[in-house]
Amino acid sequence: MSLCCRNFASSARSSAGRHERADRTTSTGSTALYPLYQLGNPQLRIFRPNWFLTLVRPGKEQPPDTVQFRIPMEMTKYDVKNYLEKIYDVPVGAIRTRIQFGSNKKRNHLHQKVKQPDYKVAYVQLAQGQTFTFPDIFPEKELKHEEGSMEEMQEKFMEDEKQRQRLDPRRGGVTEWFGL
Amino acid sequence: MAARARLPLLFPKTLPPLQRQRPAHTEAAAAAAAAKEPAYPPVVPSLTAKSKAARQRQADERVQRIRESPVEEKISLFTRIQRKKFVVYPQTFARNADKWYQHFTKTAYIPGLPERFGPGRRTTTPVAGEESSPAGGAPAPAPAVDGAAFADIRSLKRKAFLYREQEQNVGPFVRNMVAGLTHSVGRFNPLLRLSSLDIAPRVNFYWRRGQRIIPKGHRRGRLEPTRFQIDDEPQCQIRITQQLQQFAPLEASYAADVPEVSFAPDLMPLFRRQYDNHIFTGAKLPDPACYGHTQFHLVPDRYHRDRMARRQQSDQVEVFLRANGLASLFAWTGAQAMYQGFWPHEDVRRPFVSQAVITDGQFFSFFCYQLNTVALSVETDASNPRKNLLWGTESLRLYESVQDGEVVGLDDGVVKLLVQFLMNQP
Repeated sequence: MSLCCRNFASSARSSAGRHERADRTTSTGSTALYPLYQLGNPQLRIFRPNWFLTLVRPGKEQPPDTVQFRIPMEMTKYDVKNYLEKIYDVPVGAIRTRIQFGSNKKRNHLHQKVKQPDYKVAYVQLAQGQTFTFPDIFPEKELKHEEGSMEEMQEKFMEDEKQRQRLDPRRGGVTEWFGL
Repeated sequence: MAARARLPLLFPKTLPPLQRQRPAHTEAAAAAAAAKEPAYPPVVPSLTAKSKAARQRQADERVQRIRESPVEEKISLFTRIQRKKFVVYPQTFARNADKWYQHFTKTAYIPGLPERFGPGRRTTTPVAGEESSPAGGAPAPAPAVDGAAFADIRSLKRKAFLYREQEQNVGPFVRNMVAGLTHSVGRFNPLLRLSSLDIAPRVNFYWRRGQRIIPKGHRRGRLEPTRFQIDDEPQCQIRITQQLQQFAPLEASYAADVPEVSFAPDLMPLFRRQYDNHIFTGAKLPDPACYGHTQFHLVPDRYHRDRMARRQQSDQVEVFLRANGLASLFAWTGAQAMYQGFWPHEDVRRPFVSQAVITDGQFFSFFCYQLNTVALSVETDASNPRKNLLWGTESLRLYESVQDGEVVGLDDGVVKLLVQFLMNQP
């Protein structure tokens, strides 16, 4: 029942108009419908794109002027360039993109293949000599307990025990098996 | 029984001459030992064992074999095995390509030209006085830089097809100008009379620099040298029979600094291919004009400064020109050195020098290259203080514009530099 409903909907969409973008997955900046471009049409302008870029830490080390993004599959290099320049004022020099295939190898408890989604990666080289390093978003923190708490007293106790076990530092690491 | 029984019953009458025996460590004894034939063959590692020493011995034998062979065989043995290598394009779209190319070729960049081409410097030929007349617009370069002829030819041809403007309009101008200038300057520079002017020659060079650990495959974990290949096609070049004078002494290059890039060349972006490894200067080995003088390069439409300005990449124009000059001249001088029998394990004994002019019709950039070392592979570069040197100018405007068949704003300095370049002789 649901299957034939779906087919009906897609055929209705495609017959809506030959000059309308029936396919939702082309680069129009959003999932809305726009008229197909013909020679002489005004420049297509998108004011509120429905695309979102993700800045990621590169897996392999990149040169300092290169920034790595995960972008929607529908975006092109020119879309990324305009997006960064117009919305974020980032001067873009060169862009290279690739599509990362998500593995289809793993199987679940029912022995069915589980597909991990494909995604597009963009390597953006900044212009005007700008550089970017991905920040450390999980810095190492010194775990300090608050004063007078149970954990702090336990910490101190353990420290004292360990101190008692250690040898005299003036011996310089020599054992106490021999001697007076 | 008693220990005395072990002694011989009869003592020898004369004891062996212990005091009179010669000590073993005199020079005479050593010489005598050397003059004697060694009783056993030398102890060397095996050649076929599965060990590091065996691999090292195989490599040493290969190096020895190349050292002992004549020049053609040296080149063919060096370039025999095909493997994946990075193809370096002198004219590249990559950003900041000059820093990368400097690292690949161990070249230091020095802005400006060497003192020989300094401002107000005259060549030492006796006809130096006449040198000013060519620069002043008298017969010699005037036909070459004749705006009228230039404009007429352009208007006769129809508009060039996609991205062929430079090739159709500026290419013939550069070729004619070079041919005309070479002929006129040949009166003052006897070297140019015996030179060879090549039109659209091929220049190829193959070298190894650096190494990497193979990440995947059946050779995973092993060290592999990174190989590079340049296949260049200048617009025209002049080859001469004698070598040009060096611009700076070898020792002066020890202090120069070369930018180090710690990333793999893939990130430039640079791509690998596998095909025949070529080393070629523009003519085959037996050619007597085996040394290089000047190369002339054309800037294609794709990298023209107007197009770069439209894409807001005007800062990359100079970078492109430097990278082009560097790669082309390194390939040419390297090939010249290989033709003389120098290779990474036998470094050059004298510097190899060449010049280049890169133009897009209106702007001219001049480059001088001195190849001090060709030993760039890992084993030979470990203790090699020498660096190659590149001198270069920014792009200089030759003329403002061409109006009604007249050249407006012709810059004599540029013409003078051109003539000085061609007048350069040992």
